[in-house]
Amino acid sequence: MNYDFSEKEFTFFTDLHNLMETLSKEADLENDNGGDNVMLALNKLAGTPYLKLALGEDGELNGLLTLMGAMEVVGAFSPSMLLAIEMSTRVFGRIVSSFGDDALKERLLPPILEGRLLGSVAVSEASMNVVNEPLKTEGKTDGDKVVLNGRKQYVVNAPLADWIAVIGVMDEKPAVFMVEKGTSGLFIEDKMPMLGYDGVAVSGIRLDNCAIDSSNVMGPFDKPTIIDSVKMWENQVLIGAGLGLMKAAFESARDYAKAHKSGGKPIIAYQEVGFKLAEMLTLFQTSQLFSYRAAWAADDNPKDADSFTLSAKVFITESAEKVAGCALQIMGGFGYREGNSAERAFRCSKYLQIAGTSTEISRVKIGDAAMGIR
Amino acid sequence: MFKKEIINFAKKEIVPRVQEHDLKKQFDYESFRKLGEFGILGLHFPEELGGSDADVITTVMAGEALGEAGVDGGLTLAYGAHTFLCADTIYSHGTEEQRKKYIPKLASGEWIGCMGLTEPDAGSDVASMKSTAEKKGDKYILNGQKIFITNGPIADVSVIYAKTDPEQQHAGISAFIVEKDTPGFKSGPNLIKMGVSTSQTSELFMDNCEIPAENLLGKEGEGFNMSMQTVEWDRSALLAPFVGASTYMLKRCADYAKKREQFGRPIGKFQAMKHRLADIRIFGEAARALVYRIAYCKDQGRPLNHLEAAVAKLFVGDWSMAPANDAMILHGGYGYCHEYDMERIMRDSRLAPIGGGTSDIQKMIISKLM
Repeated sequence: MNYDFSEKEFTFFTDLHNLMETLSKEADLENDNGGDNVMLALNKLAGTPYLKLALGEDGELNGLLTLMGAMEVVGAFSPSMLLAIEMSTRVFGRIVSSFGDDALKERLLPPILEGRLLGSVAVSEASMNVVNEPLKTEGKTDGDKVVLNGRKQYVVNAPLADWIAVIGVMDEKPAVFMVEKGTSGLFIEDKMPMLGYDGVAVSGIRLDNCAIDSSNVMGPFDKPTIIDSVKMWENQVLIGAGLGLMKAAFESARDYAKAHKSGGKPIIAYQEVGFKLAEMLTLFQTSQLFSYRAAWAADDNPKDADSFTLSAKVFITESAEKVAGCALQIMGGFGYREGNSAERAFRCSKYLQIAGTSTEISRVKIGDAAMGIR
Repeated sequence: MFKKEIINFAKKEIVPRVQEHDLKKQFDYESFRKLGEFGILGLHFPEELGGSDADVITTVMAGEALGEAGVDGGLTLAYGAHTFLCADTIYSHGTEEQRKKYIPKLASGEWIGCMGLTEPDAGSDVASMKSTAEKKGDKYILNGQKIFITNGPIADVSVIYAKTDPEQQHAGISAFIVEKDTPGFKSGPNLIKMGVSTSQTSELFMDNCEIPAENLLGKEGEGFNMSMQTVEWDRSALLAPFVGASTYMLKRCADYAKKREQFGRPIGKFQAMKHRLADIRIFGEAARALVYRIAYCKDQGRPLNHLEAAVAKLFVGDWSMAPANDAMILHGGYGYCHEYDMERIMRDSRLAPIGGGTSDIQKMIISKLM
């Protein structure tokens, strides 16, 4: 593995930083604002290689590996924008890119890469569990249509999305149903209030005799690859989100500790604070490297990529909570105020451990992999 | 392939004797000699000096392989002190004559090396060093005391740091080569330790110890910088066995969890056991990334990034005990007994946050450099 980013990548990260800095002054990115803010961000990012990473031709950048560094930059400015954009571009987009036929790709990929389309992916159902994932959402053929019935929960971007990729079953095999906004029989529930990610619109959806054109169905697939792939892509996004939270929380706390004085000296001079920051930076840097290795493994060693990604996800998302918690402690009352990046990171960090493959299920799967159980 | 060869070699030639030597707290001379024969002790030195011209990544991989094979922390520590703290310092800063005289014997394992830096009142605070080296004609007269010196009781050759200018702080420190049996130079008895028991650790005493002036390494006053250069190895090759040990523990624990049955099923079926396996894996992967980053940068010829080096040491130091503890608990009563080597690994891992600069020192470095 190469432990360096290239000059081109560093330049890209700097450009991205500047773009996000400008954007965050133009709009409150932690407020979805009815979808306007995410579309504004998508539109701006489309002018950079960002949306193409791991999805399209990204020039001399390095796909998923570059994406990890890029997600850190975007996520540090706005956790909500990162999550909304990534669930659309990288998860929804990669479903289209990896499993769609040429016609579907031609129809949906250009607007995704040009930042004109917001996608959503609906996976989670109440019946899913650790041992297996029995999806109840089902599509049945009816002439040249497929009729969908089922309910999905915690669907990121659902209230705002132009298209929703619904993972379900057809003929008892996994399939993806592409449902366009406004389709009859698609019911979007109200946006859920959550602990964190204030600017992300998350809701349940209901499919009640929702008929879609059969050309909008991917599958059915003989193997459950689609679900594994979606989970892994989602976990990769959550890894990048964790890096962003840590960067924001650590840098805020470090800067505060250097500037804020107590007893006549900056509080970083006290070992209680300086050592805490050292532990935070250790977790942050370790997380960065872990994410790069996971990205590299996903590209280079697909056989081991799943448990590698899960290992990184557990470590990084748990580290994000620890780093955010320490940052809050260091900044005292200043950090506890609403809108402070540490306070926001602390609230958001819990989501990362719950979403995708949860920390607990991840550990079960990593343990299974260690014992040779796949 | 290279890594597998070392693992196979170590499993066959070294590991069968590990537990016995650990129990007796004895150094395994035979294993050390075999490490030399296999080429591990001098891996990164030039071929003409008995080495293999290996790069740093390869050298780190060898250390990881030893840990992965189940070689104990005592022997890997002895290897680290010998090769990186002693031999490499001579190779990196010595004259051609010094290199030719010492490196082949150290690379082959014919001689054992150690490094004497730490003193009773000067650990991480190296500038407080009390040992002195006074030049008299074509001799240096060394006086002072060193402590916690790995390989001290068994070393044939030592790299000793002492102040040639006691008025100076770091700039007054110089490095010398001192051979065993030099009059006025002796080691104390082996210090009995909690872990890494097969490595022999002692005090070193210099009482008007007279050495030829040609045994000075580099120039007077360069000693501190030489000791700092060993940090690159300390944060890569010396940490690598901990990474390898995590893989060893993971495999052993996975095998045990599949075979050991309780309540009518293998304990590996229980989620709590899977979680322990997961945490061992997570530590190993994270630590591997940090250790190899230091090695990669050294291979690229970059000066050591002290912040990144301290991060690697702090992480491996503070986090390596948890997986060892997990591995021991997963084995239950067997894990607590010496017959199974999990308790030995846990004791060995306890050195990680102490040796080579404690975790607190790493935090001091990181907080100053951030």
